[in-house]
Amino acid sequence: MKFSTKLALAGVGIALLATVPWWGSAVLVQFGINALILATLAQSWNIIGGYTGYPSFGNSVFYGLGGYGVAIAMVQYGLPFPVGLAIGIGLAVGFAILLGLPVLRLRGHYFAIATLGLAEVMTAIVSNLEIAGRNVGLILPLVKGDVLFFELSLILLVVTTLAVMWISRSRFGFGLIAIRENEQAAAVMGVNTTLYKILAFALCSVFAAVAGGIHAYWITYLDPGSAFDVALNVKMIIMAVFGGPGTIFGPVLGAFVLSAISEILAAKVTSLASIFFGIVIVAAIVFMPRGFADLVRRFRQSGWRYFQENIRTYRV
Amino acid sequence: MKNLALACAAMMALLASRVSAAPIELGASVQLTGQFANTGRYYGDAYQFAVEKINAAGGVKVGNTREKLNLKILDNQSDVNLSVRQYVQLVTQDKVNFLLGPFASDFVLADSAIAEKYNVPMIQGGGASDQIFSRGYKYIFGTLPPASDYFDSTLDLMGQLKPPPATLALLYADDAFDVSVADGTRKDASKTKLKIVVDQRYSSKASDFNSILSLIKSQNVDAILVAGHETEVLNFIRQAKTLNVNPKLYSFTVGVPSADFRAALGQDANYAFGMSSWVPSAALKDEYFGNAEQFANEYKKRFGYEPDYHAASAVADVQAFVKAIESANSIDPVKVRDAIAKVDFDSLYGRVRFNSAGQINLPQTVVQVQKGKLVPIYGPKGMLEQPLYPMPEWSKR
Amino acid sequence: MQLLWQILVNGVLLGGLYALMALGLVLVWGVLNIVNLAHGALIMLGAYACYYLFTGLGWDPFAALPVAMVLLFCLGYVIQRYVLNLIIRAPMFNTLLITFGFEVVITYLAQIAFSADFRTINPSYAGANFSFLGATVPLVRLLAFAVALALTLGLWLFLEHTRIGRAIRATAQNLIAARLYGVNPRHLYALTFGIGAALAGAAGTLYGVVSQINPYIGSGLTGKSFAIAIIGGLDKSIYVLAGGLFLGIVEAVTALYIGPTYTDVVSFGILVLVLIVRPTGLLGRTA
Repeated sequence: MKFSTKLALAGVGIALLATVPWWGSAVLVQFGINALILATLAQSWNIIGGYTGYPSFGNSVFYGLGGYGVAIAMVQYGLPFPVGLAIGIGLAVGFAILLGLPVLRLRGHYFAIATLGLAEVMTAIVSNLEIAGRNVGLILPLVKGDVLFFELSLILLVVTTLAVMWISRSRFGFGLIAIRENEQAAAVMGVNTTLYKILAFALCSVFAAVAGGIHAYWITYLDPGSAFDVALNVKMIIMAVFGGPGTIFGPVLGAFVLSAISEILAAKVTSLASIFFGIVIVAAIVFMPRGFADLVRRFRQSGWRYFQENIRTYRV
Repeated sequence: MKNLALACAAMMALLASRVSAAPIELGASVQLTGQFANTGRYYGDAYQFAVEKINAAGGVKVGNTREKLNLKILDNQSDVNLSVRQYVQLVTQDKVNFLLGPFASDFVLADSAIAEKYNVPMIQGGGASDQIFSRGYKYIFGTLPPASDYFDSTLDLMGQLKPPPATLALLYADDAFDVSVADGTRKDASKTKLKIVVDQRYSSKASDFNSILSLIKSQNVDAILVAGHETEVLNFIRQAKTLNVNPKLYSFTVGVPSADFRAALGQDANYAFGMSSWVPSAALKDEYFGNAEQFANEYKKRFGYEPDYHAASAVADVQAFVKAIESANSIDPVKVRDAIAKVDFDSLYGRVRFNSAGQINLPQTVVQVQKGKLVPIYGPKGMLEQPLYPMPEWSKR
Repeated sequence: MQLLWQILVNGVLLGGLYALMALGLVLVWGVLNIVNLAHGALIMLGAYACYYLFTGLGWDPFAALPVAMVLLFCLGYVIQRYVLNLIIRAPMFNTLLITFGFEVVITYLAQIAFSADFRTINPSYAGANFSFLGATVPLVRLLAFAVALALTLGLWLFLEHTRIGRAIRATAQNLIAARLYGVNPRHLYALTFGIGAALAGAAGTLYGVVSQINPYIGSGLTGKSFAIAIIGGLDKSIYVLAGGLFLGIVEAVTALYIGPTYTDVVSFGILVLVLIVRPTGLLGRTA
């Protein structure tokens, strides 16, 4: 469908979503906040993973730093929430630039492993820092009323998606895509690959950090395990991949769909929820590795053979 | 004719009771699967058992009627974030009247914020860390005694042994509960003649204690106190054996009172000290179960494994709600909360009453594994049995 | 000084076991370009296999080890042949995700099958130890170390000197040429993954004897194996051995001199440093 139609639909969707806290049940609002935050994370990963082609397994570090920025600012220094967010963003961007420089020189799976290693290192370092409450974590002040968090998360997702939209139409974005397709050729053509990669990394760190800050304040509790959760990394990647990496709405769609299914399972048949996640990943990678968006597009042409073709393309 | 009339009357009475009975809803999110399921199951099963027994005895008296208790348990898969969401669900969607807690201080810390946020009383028997009760929350109560006091009776006992241990090694995992224990123990040990020569914090996920043990061995420490989780304590004891570390005494915050822990170690469990806020003795009388010993036997028959203080404390939680509801004569959350703060009754778990912060205060009984059996050694009233001290070397057992 | 010596001995013994853990991961990574995030879960299954043979049939764990290896080999073969082979030419990143999915599924199924209770494999000689130049050496750790060395050597011999081993290496280097020589890649890939799983199974058996088993030990062990694989280098099994020993010693020394809560900081910190500075590993050939 035309882009302007998609945009109009999105606008209506956002307006609708914004009203949810007033008519939805508390559980729906809860689910909504979680889904919005996950969608933001998936979308922020999209910038470095989907557009630039650098599959980062370390976005949870930015998320965690955002959370800790807020927690430390509010608990240890009594500063207000927005200041905490700013600190969290500062930490995340600083980390992205400082560690991005050496790590973004690595290719493909080495980059993935390095970011995975970084996530583990940060978990271990923070669990030793007294100011962060070591492994016990920090308890944030309690705020009654989820409306605030819902609207904040929604605004965050909208801003992140707008950023991705801007990227997809800008020279910066074309540069990123060029890096993804063939980095050496891109460099030869004059793209400053190092600068672009660092900028992409820093940009996604901002959104992930804010998401982490909001989540920490909402849950009122933060510890290294949940802040830098490795499984969270994989969740956001799966949602982005499932929805369609390198597209504007793909990650959002993937996040909402997967969250919804997971939440329904968790409420009804709690034990199945975790294994569901694993099976979805396996099935999705085998049958639709290019994501939901691609599935929708190509299904019209090939029908059920779409799945077969995917397998044939990638198997031995 | 008379029989028919009788039958009709019985039917009407039955109908009337069914129509007016609105069960009191209790909700809990417990670790039934996941890495804490090993201890989490005590809570799930004990809550269930208590509710059944109370309902069988007629339920809870509110106003003129007796209401049954209804229990909804969700599995949080040992995931703190999920347990928080589940408690919100229980309160807002399932509209439970009151909340029962999960296991582990980390979980209680996060989940109690929900109870406070929605003004629904929560009684939990799974978290002992000081942090839970130092936030000024009004809606959280706990039936585990304060973490910082866990080793108090052990330290007392150590002062009475001959010859008393002179040097102490304090090891603790870095989670909320164990850090609280260590902080309290350090303070209390400084009031004794013991000298802490090793004071090490270790990672909750650790399985390798060789370095710490080698350090302890090189310092010839007399006594070792370990605040950690069952899996860590198990590893610690086994590695102490393989590295031939022979303190005069060692004591652990968890593990020793659990039957399957002792079974896993077999002979190697001997001489280990532990503590329990509960022993299944016939002296602890209970309104619903008779006494603690009967409870333990019935529990084992029903669920296939022996209960320990986790299970007993969970039963106490349910009973505390019953007592509070009956005392307030209402299910209004604010009234019940105030009533909980004032309860004072005896149960199979011991005397249940909460201090101003909401925490129970029960003395820990020092126990020791002697020839495969768990023996209470030292209680609030003094020596109960002779401890086997000092611990013979591994090669001499 | 005495203490340091003991720590070093601890570290070396631990390192041997670490090396064995990483060996299967490295084989699969080097040959198939598959980064197996479920590797730790396979180790966990190997530990359980040995546990049930030990408690159910009364077999000595070292006797049960080959059986555990065979069981894990079959599992690995099936996984590769019928699932992983389907995505093997996809971007390598897909294998990361799919093996993560496997890890979740395997862990969950293990918890259903074996319950979350922790288990130990406790043969009668589990506590035995002897003195070596002033350090106490636990017998089981020494045996585990010996087995790890033997398997590392065995793998090397297998890859260098047997027909199948050479076929595996050939397929890794040049698939088309190998095909021309009549190699059936589907079967060979499955074989390789199976061997990797078998090695994980062996590591699991030994791990179960020196530590305790529960369904959740997988992810931590995968992380460790990663660190060792990267630090040592992916080219030869002897590099993995060096990586394992290095990590074992570093961890033991860190625990003593800096603090036991810092071992992960050091292990993963070195992992990241090595990746940044020398991605082929401390010993590997520069690309």
